[in-house]
Amino acid sequence: MMKKLFFISLLLSYTVASYANLNIFACEPEWASLSEELGGSKLTIYAATTGLQDPHFIQARPSLIAKARQADLLVCTGAELEIGWLPLLQRKSANAAIQNGAPGYFMATDTVTLTGIPEQLDRSQGDIHADGNPHIQTNPQHILTVAKQLSLRLQQLDPSNQTFYQQRWLDFEQRWTQAMQRWQQQAAPLRGMPIVIQHNSWDYLIAWLALDKIATLETKPGVPPSVSELNTIVQRLKSTPAKVVIHAAYQPARASDWLVDKTGIVKVTLPFTIGGNAAASNLFSLFDNTLALLLEAQK
Amino acid sequence: MKSKTTIALMITSALFVSMPVTANDVTDLNELKIELLKMRQDYESRIDALENRLANMEQETVRVETQVNSAKKKTVPAGSSRFNPAISLVLNSQFSDYSRDPEGYQISGFAIPGEGGLAREGFSLGESELTFSANIDQLLMAQTTIALHDDEGETEVEVEEAFIETLGLGNGLIVRAGRFFSPIGYLNEKHIHAWNFADAPLIYRGLFGNQLVTDGIKVSYLLPTDFYMEVGGTAGNGDQNPGSGQHNGIGDWLIYAKTGGDLGHNSSWQLGLSHWQSSPDDREIGAGHSHGGEAGGESVAFNGDTDISNVSFVYKWAPNGNMRQENITFLTEYFYLNDDGELSVENELAQYDGKQYGGFVEGIYQFSPHWRTGLRYDYLGSDLSASDTELLDDAGLDNSGFHPKRYGLMLEWLPSEFSRFRAQINHDRASSVHDTQVLFQYTVSLGAHGAHNF
Repeated sequence: MMKKLFFISLLLSYTVASYANLNIFACEPEWASLSEELGGSKLTIYAATTGLQDPHFIQARPSLIAKARQADLLVCTGAELEIGWLPLLQRKSANAAIQNGAPGYFMATDTVTLTGIPEQLDRSQGDIHADGNPHIQTNPQHILTVAKQLSLRLQQLDPSNQTFYQQRWLDFEQRWTQAMQRWQQQAAPLRGMPIVIQHNSWDYLIAWLALDKIATLETKPGVPPSVSELNTIVQRLKSTPAKVVIHAAYQPARASDWLVDKTGIVKVTLPFTIGGNAAASNLFSLFDNTLALLLEAQK
Repeated sequence: MKSKTTIALMITSALFVSMPVTANDVTDLNELKIELLKMRQDYESRIDALENRLANMEQETVRVETQVNSAKKKTVPAGSSRFNPAISLVLNSQFSDYSRDPEGYQISGFAIPGEGGLAREGFSLGESELTFSANIDQLLMAQTTIALHDDEGETEVEVEEAFIETLGLGNGLIVRAGRFFSPIGYLNEKHIHAWNFADAPLIYRGLFGNQLVTDGIKVSYLLPTDFYMEVGGTAGNGDQNPGSGQHNGIGDWLIYAKTGGDLGHNSSWQLGLSHWQSSPDDREIGAGHSHGGEAGGESVAFNGDTDISNVSFVYKWAPNGNMRQENITFLTEYFYLNDDGELSVENELAQYDGKQYGGFVEGIYQFSPHWRTGLRYDYLGSDLSASDTELLDDAGLDNSGFHPKRYGLMLEWLPSEFSRFRAQINHDRASSVHDTQVLFQYTVSLGAHGAHNF
């Protein structure tokens, strides 16, 4: 009896799957939003984290295992950002479609060149990522690169809707390229703006906008700075003053607030990803809002 | 080049248009032409220089890019170590202080098996665990944990876990074989160093001597549902306490079911049920470390049927689901063991019916990324009857119906994901003797990044 039920349920799951949308398991909200742009109504998208969660410190909780079990495609950052929980989800979900190297395994950082690769792997240097800085979504050029590869992957997984995905990609490419031109113009006054960052999550944004990073409050990533380290930064800012101190919405602002207190520097809380604040509701508004906040602080 | 000519022409024509030319100024015009030619050469050489600089910069970019790429590739180790398994090493050490002699430690109504006793007083090296894991091939992965610990001056090596597991068999099906932590309870499936307190809950101590390990096979099936639902079972050799003896076929078996989900973004939960059965042959009662010295003669043996049922519930809460900053864990488990058979020692025999039950409740509050505190309460009970109560005495089983209790409070400092310092105080009333236990412990992990299990 049990056997019969088991096979019936298997059969059902197959027949349902063949008519249903592709199930996307996006590890971070930016990839959920990008999938939405590229696949729209042909996809059922689940975002495993929100913009207010530290994407590293996630547990492989029951709901995530259940969603990973159903996924046809993982769209994640990679580069060890999800190392604590994604391998567990792959194992526990027993879903052949999303194992390493399968077509349903898509890591965004595999498509772009990462910076910040540590010369030495030593945990005394804080939370370092051996493959480089994984926070690529802060540069819209990377979004475009990832989008192209992701669209190809969708076409590969769901060839019956290939033309649909191609059209969505071309449409997105056009809108995104236009938006990037607009952002470049808007961001012109930000060029060379001296800034302090709390955590090294902004390397790609800094490169894109040609900001001038004076200091990083967390000298070792993930390790709260000591008072003496902070005082050194205060001293440095006396000779080379910075305009703003930047931190991500999901991180506590303690170190930034301390600096504001000591130096009167302007603090900017950037959304970092979709859902980091109410205004950043999709990829376009994420960058609109990020630039608006920086321009506002720059005045 | 074409564009340069165009620019030069434009400049020339512009100059010509702006300057009225008369027939008399031919010499001037010639001079002007020469001047213009000079200007043109000048511009051309400047543009050439610019072009060269641009080409150089482009080359530089390509060079940097290849450097970056090669740097990226360098992270893959070369040579025969390339396929080495992920290795992690967990070290811990403890300082314990008890108000009573730990050798005489007892839990009323229970006979503590194996290593369930208290850690030695003073400084002691806890278990050092070495874990290796890697994919074997396209079908299988393997993991093993070797534990080293000291026992009365000698270092013991123990294979804590060693199993192979199917990789992406698909359709939610996983088969595991070898030695593994039995899925009998929530904590039982985790390594002791991942527990929230320095010592095991009393019920784990009393029933399993800390943890139940199965040598055998495990099959699990994850239902293709939107909420989490997993069912499965294990079959083992029935060796480990409370099982015992050489069984030719299946010595113990277990079935379990787990379900769970999220409540909004802030909380998640999991509920587990399990049932274990075995028919122990000559399970020694009261042969644990804490009684080893005093028994002297033959220990009491149990033959019959044993079953254990468990229910566990976990609830976790974090503002916006961001576990990093602040979170609360609430965990409770309850076990019920049922022994039905006979006790024997030397020539004496007695019918025996034993019920041992109990559980614990713990609440953990992580109030900053680097600090956690928690409370635990243990409560046990037993109902033991034998046709000859003398055998219960011989077995060291107290049938007075006393309820063992314990309160524990801990505080942890977590400098990083890889290290933990813990202070813990217990008020232990596991028997009629009251004991105050103070424990200090550090636990560190080296090597491969640990998994963030729920």
